[in-house]
Amino acid sequence: MQWLTPLTALYAAAVAVPLLLLLYFLKLKRRQVVVSSTLLWKRAVQDLQVNAPFQRLRRNILLLLQLLALLAILLCLAGPILSLTARAGRRYVILIDRSASMNAMEGGTSRLEEAKKQAKIFVESLRNKTFFSLAASSDQTMVIAFDTHAKVMCNFTSDKPKLDGAIDAITPSDGDSYLAEAVVVAQAFAQSPGVEADFQSAEEPAHLVLFSDGRIGDLDQVVVASDEMVFHCIGQSAENVALTAMQAKRSYENPEQVDVFATVANYGASPVTCDVQLSVNADVRALKSVTIPAKSAENSSEDSVPGKVAVSFTLDQPDAGVVEVRHLHSDPLGSDDAAWAVLPPPKRLSVLLVTDENPVLESALKACSLERLDLMSGSQFDANDRSDFSIEQSYDIIILDNHLPARLPKCRYLVFGPPPAGIDVSVSQQLKNQVMVDWRPRHAVLKYVNLANLFAAKSLRMDLPRDAEVLAEFNESPALALLRRKGSVFLLAGFDVLESNWPFEPSFVLFCYNAIHFLGGQVGRHEQTSLNVGEPIVVEGVTPETEARIDGPYFSDTPVMSSSAGSIHFPGTSRTGVYNLRIPEKPPRLFGVNLLDQNESGIEPRRQIVLAGQAVEAEQQAVSRANMPLWPFLVGLALMLACVEWLVYNLKVKI
Amino acid sequence: MKSAKATASKKRLTDLLDPKFMSRLDSLDILSRKILQGKLQGERRSKRRGQSVEFADHRPYVAGDDLRFVDWNIYGRLDQLFLKLYLEEQDLTVHILADVSASMSMGEPSKERFIKKLAAALGYVSLVNNNRVTISLFADGLRGQLANMRGRNYLHNMADVLLTAGCDGLSSFESACRQVVAGRIGTGVMIVLSDFLFKEGYDAGLRRLIGRQYDLYVIQVLAAQELEPDLAGELKLIDIEDTDAAEVTISAALSKYYKKNVAAYCNELKNFCTQRGAVYALANAADSVESLVLNYLRRIRLLR
Repeated sequence: MQWLTPLTALYAAAVAVPLLLLLYFLKLKRRQVVVSSTLLWKRAVQDLQVNAPFQRLRRNILLLLQLLALLAILLCLAGPILSLTARAGRRYVILIDRSASMNAMEGGTSRLEEAKKQAKIFVESLRNKTFFSLAASSDQTMVIAFDTHAKVMCNFTSDKPKLDGAIDAITPSDGDSYLAEAVVVAQAFAQSPGVEADFQSAEEPAHLVLFSDGRIGDLDQVVVASDEMVFHCIGQSAENVALTAMQAKRSYENPEQVDVFATVANYGASPVTCDVQLSVNADVRALKSVTIPAKSAENSSEDSVPGKVAVSFTLDQPDAGVVEVRHLHSDPLGSDDAAWAVLPPPKRLSVLLVTDENPVLESALKACSLERLDLMSGSQFDANDRSDFSIEQSYDIIILDNHLPARLPKCRYLVFGPPPAGIDVSVSQQLKNQVMVDWRPRHAVLKYVNLANLFAAKSLRMDLPRDAEVLAEFNESPALALLRRKGSVFLLAGFDVLESNWPFEPSFVLFCYNAIHFLGGQVGRHEQTSLNVGEPIVVEGVTPETEARIDGPYFSDTPVMSSSAGSIHFPGTSRTGVYNLRIPEKPPRLFGVNLLDQNESGIEPRRQIVLAGQAVEAEQQAVSRANMPLWPFLVGLALMLACVEWLVYNLKVKI
Repeated sequence: MKSAKATASKKRLTDLLDPKFMSRLDSLDILSRKILQGKLQGERRSKRRGQSVEFADHRPYVAGDDLRFVDWNIYGRLDQLFLKLYLEEQDLTVHILADVSASMSMGEPSKERFIKKLAAALGYVSLVNNNRVTISLFADGLRGQLANMRGRNYLHNMADVLLTAGCDGLSSFESACRQVVAGRIGTGVMIVLSDFLFKEGYDAGLRRLIGRQYDLYVIQVLAAQELEPDLAGELKLIDIEDTDAAEVTISAALSKYYKKNVAAYCNELKNFCTQRGAVYALANAADSVESLVLNYLRRIRLLR
């Protein structure tokens, strides 16, 4: 038998026992009766005391019974248990998976709730340090919740209420589950003694107790010793229909027309016919019935391939809006039932070209289907008072061709030639005969742009600040660089186009097109508004140190500050849904955060997880109560003693 | 006026004794086991020589003796003068010492009523038979005394004293006895009526009475509730006299021990009296005074 909370009982005893004795010493309220003489009564009492065997015991038998009853209640408080799993004091790390697949609802509760419940039972069955034996030590436990990242909920402690609180504090997320980080964190913490580890050697390995459905993305990267991990598999159901891909795009030819593509996957063993619904700004616009085949039976073990069906919609949507694709099949996991895409309004750009004479650039820009292309000489540009340029938003992009402006209104700039002053870029040297040696073809600006043949007869050596993003490099100097300063974006080309062979290359037109669309936010914004779970919301070009507010699916009106560089980073996209960022003096910006993850949507629990070359089988039974509490018996005993005490009192008083 | 007072007093005597009982008491008399010296000539034989018809002894004549008592027959035979002596008949002193301390008011019916009735009955018997009666009431010393009453005329006085006396105060038997003895009432029958529940003990007091040529009768009167208590539970018993408190849990065992104690206490008192030539009687205040007087006191030969 062990005690779960011996200290509680001791404290209670320290109060209650003296109180009972005190009550006994404080005479009880007796009825007063007048008699002719107390002489004979006193003699009788003396006789009784003298003649009674075990007179002290008899005199205090009520007190003894009361003390015994009190003792029984106090023992209850000490939490006696019959420990059916006796073991030495150990260190445990409870790893709780809170990824998207753990949100699957089974029998009214989610897998995460079930995991938390089992973890709490596990915590309850841990052994406490017994008060009287200093040699024994209590089990110490640490709680880590993980999805894409690991989160330490509680360091090693034997404080069960604290552990319960830490487990309760785990919130669900829609992220992927990656165990490796959690295991690394757990092993790192296990090296250091815990909060109360007075006698605990740090060398003792911690036991990892994993509560998960086994749908973990990076199992091959997890390295644990054999028998170090105990895996409790949560969940039974495998049936799930999920959206695994979704995209909404404006047609290039007709910007008012939107093409929506989605892939619906069925992870169940039988085909599913369901409706897929398309809505824009919460108005249902289309409904399609699809039949999704069952998962492929060829490999019915862990990694079966789900049945998939592609759905496409075409609709006219000239305005901005949020496109939602949702399948109407009820399944355990709700976060992959819908996907969102944010449609920007079809916008054509207004571009100001500040140049003295550059027909090449002018003709390249004219090919970019712009709303407006204005030409201005350098002196005209400087003469205009454009301090309110950014407010008017008359131009989306300003192209500076070999011109150093006196003042830089906040805008997006494509700069050819010398970089403007005041953006921390200096020109140290004139270079000659530069050839392109490297560029980043995956960057949006250089998409499909082949710069292999670019040759510049004259070039400027740009000394860039550290935060500048170099897109292409000449043999001696950066050729193309991206820089953000004071809310403005600068795409710098450190050479004069007319001094290079670039106008004769097809890549020049492509570069102009990409650069205009990238800077105009057309391309960049589209990429940024559809995020996966866990990807941060990033917005550039905001007034520095501005407080914006963001509404999400599970929170609203959360403040977020823009950085001094004029960008907003919001990392809290742990749940799927539409996020609305409200920046002062700007139209609200919407972001769709989607799961779109085949691994997480496959919710079939894995009874066996294969870590780096080592298989870990799930425990056969769910964590159940390992300790048998004895306090109900003690309460019964106390009740019985109270009855006996009553009986004895009545027998004594009875004449 | 006087007659009205007398009738009032008589009425008050009948408060204590009903006429039927009084008529039965008329035939009784106090009996003394000892031949005691009285004060006045009376109806009882005394040790003193005096004038009566009963011959006691002879003694030689001395000059000055009354020649009427010379035994002339002896003078004729022996030619010497002898005087005939006769026993003198004297009256009997009956001393009733009644307890009126606060403890006597206890009991249902109260010991006070019983003891006053008993004192009245004994006093009545004594007065009717021309004995000299002294009634003393004591608590923490003598409270009241009606000394040397003789004859029926004193009946109303006796009743008056008994009825007006209230029961209160501590009891100090020893000092009461000392005062009684110092009062020089004279030898005779001494009847002590009390519950004898004295904290300081009864021995000292009784010893003072025993050594004084009294024919001592000790009648202990206890209430029914004292003999058979009907108390139970957690009680704080308060002594009515000295307000001494005793906290007791009256259980069956304690009740048993109390009864044993009462019996032992009475027995102790009885032994004390018997060993010293006194007569002891125990009376339950719930019993009738009539049967006690007419039966029990005659059986122990206090009355005849």
